[in-house]
Amino acid sequence: MLTIDDLAKYPFLRKASSFVESYGLTFQDLVNDEYYYVVQRAVERVKCGIRGRWAELNVVDPETEILSYPLALAFVYGLRQGWVVRRFANSEQKRCFELLKNEDKDKVAEVGKDGFDWDLEGTELMVSGALFDFSLPVENYLEVAPSFHSPDWKLVNRHVTGGRVYLKQVEAARLLSEALKLKILRKAEEEYIKKFQMPERLLSKLEGLEKLVKEIKIYDEDAAVEIIEEAKPPCIVALLKDLADGKSLSHMARFTVTTFLINTGESVENVLKYFSNVADFDEGKARYQVEHIAGLIGSKTKYVPPKCDVLRSFGLCIGGDAYCKKVRHPLQYYKMRAREIKRKKGWEKGA
Amino acid sequence: MHKEVAKAFKEYYQTLDVNELVVKDLQEREIALIPIGHETMIRHMAFPETIALKEHLVENVPAHLYYSSAYYKEPQSPDMNKKGWKGADLIFDVDADHIPTPCKADHDTWTCLDCATKGAGFPPEICPKCSMKRIETTTWVCDRCLEVAKEEVFKLIDEYLIPDFGVSLKDVEVCFSGHRGYHLHVQTEDLKMLTTDGRREIADYVRGVGLDPRHQGFRIMRDGSITGPDLRDGGWRGRFAKSVYTYLSRCTFEELKVVVGSDDVANIIMRNKERLLRGIMANPPSWMGLRGVELGRTIRIAKAAVRDVLCNIDERVTIDVKRLIRYPNTLHGKSGLKAAKVSYSDLESFDPLKDAVVFKSGSIKVYVKEAPRVRIGDYEVGPMKDVQLEVPEGLGIYLLCKGAAELRE
Ligand code: SF4
Ligand SMILES: [Zn+2]
Ligand SMILES: [Zn+2]
Repeated sequence: MLTIDDLAKYPFLRKASSFVESYGLTFQDLVNDEYYYVVQRAVERVKCGIRGRWAELNVVDPETEILSYPLALAFVYGLRQGWVVRRFANSEQKRCFELLKNEDKDKVAEVGKDGFDWDLEGTELMVSGALFDFSLPVENYLEVAPSFHSPDWKLVNRHVTGGRVYLKQVEAARLLSEALKLKILRKAEEEYIKKFQMPERLLSKLEGLEKLVKEIKIYDEDAAVEIIEEAKPPCIVALLKDLADGKSLSHMARFTVTTFLINTGESVENVLKYFSNVADFDEGKARYQVEHIAGLIGSKTKYVPPKCDVLRSFGLCIGGDAYCKKVRHPLQYYKMRAREIKRKKGWEKGA
Repeated sequence: MHKEVAKAFKEYYQTLDVNELVVKDLQEREIALIPIGHETMIRHMAFPETIALKEHLVENVPAHLYYSSAYYKEPQSPDMNKKGWKGADLIFDVDADHIPTPCKADHDTWTCLDCATKGAGFPPEICPKCSMKRIETTTWVCDRCLEVAKEEVFKLIDEYLIPDFGVSLKDVEVCFSGHRGYHLHVQTEDLKMLTTDGRREIADYVRGVGLDPRHQGFRIMRDGSITGPDLRDGGWRGRFAKSVYTYLSRCTFEELKVVVGSDDVANIIMRNKERLLRGIMANPPSWMGLRGVELGRTIRIAKAAVRDVLCNIDERVTIDVKRLIRYPNTLHGKSGLKAAKVSYSDLESFDPLKDAVVFKSGSIKVYVKEAPRVRIGDYEVGPMKDVQLEVPEGLGIYLLCKGAAELRE
């Protein structure tokens, strides 16, 4: 049975929507003081989403938690920015994944049923080399799995029998949370959502969020889009030269370059290009690793390069210029020089 | 097309029992046809019931008749976006053309359109002489080709659809394509809504695309020894165990040497063969017989072993959610044969070059330009070139439809 606490954890469930409906609220009602916390919480959720984090679960007040979810969605769609919807969907996906990973098996199955009409079934199947916790009909699995590009999610590499795909709990959590993400994204495409107008009296909240959206966007464009070659530290420059010469790098060296490039805003595609000269380059494998490091797949943590200390002990630091003396981290080096170079350019333009 | 053929086709549709035209949810399918003697396809038709369809066919005799694998809200709408997709059958197309059988050398030829180089057998992708890609083929089928295609159908049903995908026989319709292969229509509510991406995963599953034995039970144990899956496991695990068993019990040293890339390793395996096979059979299985063989080599053996159990299908057909596909029990304009529905229980004994022949009255005089040895029904002729022959009607129509013969007074 799903309790009210469960609905707070998984507010996208149908049961949660009926709970909201049972209040008989309209968006207009939410302006009343009584629902102050609901509105606040909704705003907070959206802010977290925009910033790329996920809102910590508030277990003290499950009602607010549940009621705020549809309002948060309304704000997100109301902002009418594709990237905001994507970020929010990502943060809800992460949150849902973390919760389901350690959830009771029965509950996980119920979330599948109530949230996505999936016939997820708890099991304890032992086949050679693996113990599975769940099974899921092939057609349910294929609603989501093709959007993961790593080979281990390919149907052919799964245990499939009797029309069902077998999964470990962490995999079931990954699939369900991805289904949630897709649901949020797809809904944004629906006509009635596109036409949706935020009620007059909530517009002030929406305007507040719009300001944040603008700030973040400017910050994002600044940090990510333009890559400044001259700002790269000597260690990275040396490694990139090795790659261009077709040398294959140690694991640590590869990790350092990849994390560095990703964190300066390079796309996965671009990062792969740097590696394409290397003799033992295997596109599929490399892509998988880079996507993993970029936090697009797997544990979904975005990795950063090691500190200068660490690089030094691995013999990867060739240090020595004036900036190196001031920094403790290669990304810090990059940011510092990038800022300087940009400022200079600005002057030049201004002059 | 020849008048004789047009007449015969018309007669076929006139006398056709409407029950033969029954397909699942006809009213939701788009119907398309190429009329006899025309090149262009007439699309976006819909029929509420089989009688209406039959009447249309008698008036507008088709060389080819198609229906959509998809179900639509408005199948007759000419705008694809307005049709309202409601799902689609899952289709598998097995075509002897795509399977390189040795008999191709006896009955197929190809010509390079750029330098006119000619050859026999399975066509090369690029011309060996001028490296151009415009290659024209003249293909025929023989009993061997059709037998191989039939094996593929059994493999697909018995090894994949039923055990792995849990499909029941009543939901699988098998049809002779009317020419060189078979179509399988899987019609279940469960699989109906699959997207192109989902269908691609199923196609890859049966073709073994991206298959990695390391995900199916092959791995290194802590002590460095190799372990593998159990014959009794379902899915790819069981299939791997069975295939490796079969492969090792019949492969030669020479074959194995090529697969593992080492004389020594092949030697070890050949010497340990009995123990290895007994181990794979055991419950629980033991792969200790592979002691000393690295995982990488084991993987290569596993991959070589499953080559024969992979399905040879045209994946483009499977992944398409809006395919037009030949209408069951209608005639194929390039052969005059019937794209007959075949029940699973009759499939084993089904002889397409006999059981799909519908024209059986008397004989017909044709002038054959060029053809390899051909059999239709119990009658066999050829290879032949520039000859006037009197042959049974079915064979005559077949040669005319193939474009290998003409009517001459
Ligand atoms: S000090 Fe840091 S940034 Fe400079 S070269 Fe060494 S590792 Fe790179
Ligand atoms: Zn040529
Ligand atoms: Zn043949």
